[in-house]
Amino acid sequence: MSPGTTVRLIAAREVRQRLRSKLFVGTTLVISALLTVLAALPALLGVFDPDEPAVDQPAEEADLPRLGVVGAMSVAERSAIEAAIGPIEVVEVADVDAGAAALTSATNDLVAVVGPGERVLVAPSGQLLRPGSVAATRVAEALALGELFSEEPDRVGEVLARPSLPVEEVGDVDPAEATARLVVANLGVVFLFAVLIMYASMIINGVIEEKGSRVVELLVATVPVRWLMTGKLLGLGIVGLLQTLTLFAPPLAVLLLPAGEAIPRGVGGLGVAIAGWFVAGYALYAVIAAGLGSLVSRPEEAQAVLTPANVLMIGGYLVGFLAINAPSSTFAVVASFVPFSAPYAMLVRQALAAPAWWEVAAAAALTLSSAAALTVGAARIYEGGILRTGARVRLREAWRAG
Amino acid sequence: MLVLEQLQRRFGDVIALDRLDLEVVAGELCGFVGPNGAGKTTAMRCAVGVTTPDAGTVAWEGRAVDLEVRRRIGYMPEERGLYPRMRVAEQLVYLARLHGLRSAEAAANVEFWLDRLGLTARRDSPVEELSLGNQQRVQLAAALVHDPVLLILDEPFSGLDPIAVDVMSEVLLERAAAGVAVVFSSHQLDLVEDLCRSVAVVDAGRVVLRGDVRELKRAGDRRLRVAVDGDPGWVAALPVDTEVVARVNGEVTVALGAEADPGEVIELARAGGPLLHVRLEEPRLSELFRDALQDRLPR
Ligand SMILES: Nc1ncnc2c1ncn2[C@@H]1O[C@H](COP(=O)(O)OP(=O)(O)O)[C@@H](O)[C@H]1O
Ligand SMILES: [Mg+2]
Repeated sequence: MSPGTTVRLIAAREVRQRLRSKLFVGTTLVISALLTVLAALPALLGVFDPDEPAVDQPAEEADLPRLGVVGAMSVAERSAIEAAIGPIEVVEVADVDAGAAALTSATNDLVAVVGPGERVLVAPSGQLLRPGSVAATRVAEALALGELFSEEPDRVGEVLARPSLPVEEVGDVDPAEATARLVVANLGVVFLFAVLIMYASMIINGVIEEKGSRVVELLVATVPVRWLMTGKLLGLGIVGLLQTLTLFAPPLAVLLLPAGEAIPRGVGGLGVAIAGWFVAGYALYAVIAAGLGSLVSRPEEAQAVLTPANVLMIGGYLVGFLAINAPSSTFAVVASFVPFSAPYAMLVRQALAAPAWWEVAAAAALTLSSAAALTVGAARIYEGGILRTGARVRLREAWRAG
Repeated sequence: MLVLEQLQRRFGDVIALDRLDLEVVAGELCGFVGPNGAGKTTAMRCAVGVTTPDAGTVAWEGRAVDLEVRRRIGYMPEERGLYPRMRVAEQLVYLARLHGLRSAEAAANVEFWLDRLGLTARRDSPVEELSLGNQQRVQLAAALVHDPVLLILDEPFSGLDPIAVDVMSEVLLERAAAGVAVVFSSHQLDLVEDLCRSVAVVDAGRVVLRGDVRELKRAGDRRLRVAVDGDPGWVAALPVDTEVVARVNGEVTVALGAEADPGEVIELARAGGPLLHVRLEEPRLSELFRDALQDRLPR
């Protein structure tokens, strides 16, 4: 019998057993239903209608949105912008960074780079998620339209008020897509973190079940420990993927389907990226969880022994969040190649910074080969730990015994 | 034939196996006995490949025990264990398939053993819902379900009630008669004596006595068990090549060396008082074990 057959048998058992658990299937379905209802709520209550963008609140005199300008801004442009979003205060800044630094304090501040021959609109960090993002979109549109209607700035407002006007790009960023990408980056990082944490603890409990019930000795008498571990991780990975789909596909569909065409192209590709990084991240962290899980015999000890894995996962998660603020920084680039933060950081870069395809491939290869390398170590610890029931096994002892 | 040769294994400072040798012949029921901590479990784990020996070899039919061979071993670990929430029949089919059986074969074998062990009615119950006795039967079925050619059972009789002991003995004898090599460990020497053709007695990691049970008993010092209604001082005058090995409730057990004459001892005892009873027997295995230990230790 080939390793493949054995691994498949083991994986199939894991899948069958979980899917047969009424508790597991039941909670998954209930949570999925709850999320779907939550996702449908805004549409049901008419809170949010994608066809009718929310109107900006009229700015109060004392709290005008400030627009940082690099270079020159013509009166016509300013009028166009004011026609689009109302009165603004113009602040001259030396460059984009200076503008971002000076203007990030208020939620509705913007920085515009207006140089000869090009205009790039920069929203300070996180800006696009807030109501200010609508303003950003409009400023972008106004800047573009302002050129067309330089003689009649008031008409900019008229034009903008019309629905379904094709938005002209400023620089090479479609503001609507930029918003969507920022949303995806944020949600993607949170999602990855949540599912990785969830499945790490599922794996550890699966390992403890086998060890605690002592059935493992019967198994390792005929199945090499490496295959046993691989089959288990594969099976639980499949369960995880199924559960994730069940949990998140219906609410996402409810959320996105009404938007239909409005979903910017390129954002769909990010869905694939999230799925891919889930698989790579799972491979990496699952291996660690399995190795650590073999050290303990009781569920109460699981969390304690899982701490190193949790630290890595939380670390990767935080790095991912920092990268959102500066997706093109050296920090983000380096983090996107370090295996433990790569799933988060590269996802963020893919969403916000357009890395080259080979960078993504290299990061994935690094993550997966780290997982493969860790498998050897984890299998050894698993081998040394899995047969020692009772007191928690020290890592070093398991390593030596393995 | 299963051959363990010069097995050594330490755990830190503890020497669990100290050049242990063991042979188990096909068609034979071999008892592997010794006190707790003697190294029985470690030796059996080495045989099934769960533990790696520091030195020494394990061979089946002249070849090293690899994965292919391990699939043909039926194993009952000392620490019993099955998936508690998995159903009986499903679990047995799974285990049979892990040992390389095809799905149809596995299903047929499972039905056979469920029927043979009286578990058919519980085939779809999760193991954790079975009585302890039935769980023990499932554990035995798990060792048998893939038609093993070698059975390695670690303390299979421990914790069994008398009826279960009979079922277990019956199944083991039947398997041996069917040509399977069967070895089981036990710390109850009397049970092994009644059941096994051959025996290996292990102490402190090495085999101190092994061979055919009947031959060992025949070759050992015979026992004369005497009870006298009177002064037990007569034993002071025992002739050469005899030795008092036990005194229980007034009965004195005298080990008789090859040269000793039982009549002479009986005469002596009669001088001490009226005889209550006298028995001349082959030694029990447990007594041979004690003899073997004494030979190893300086007196
Ligand atoms: N995994 C282990 N770690 C440390 N010591 C062990 C381990 N397994 C067995 N030992 C020690 O090895 C010796 C032999 O144990 P064992 O083979 O279980 O004996 P038996 O089965 O005859 O009772 C004992 O002293 C035991 O404490
Ligand atoms: Mg033992």
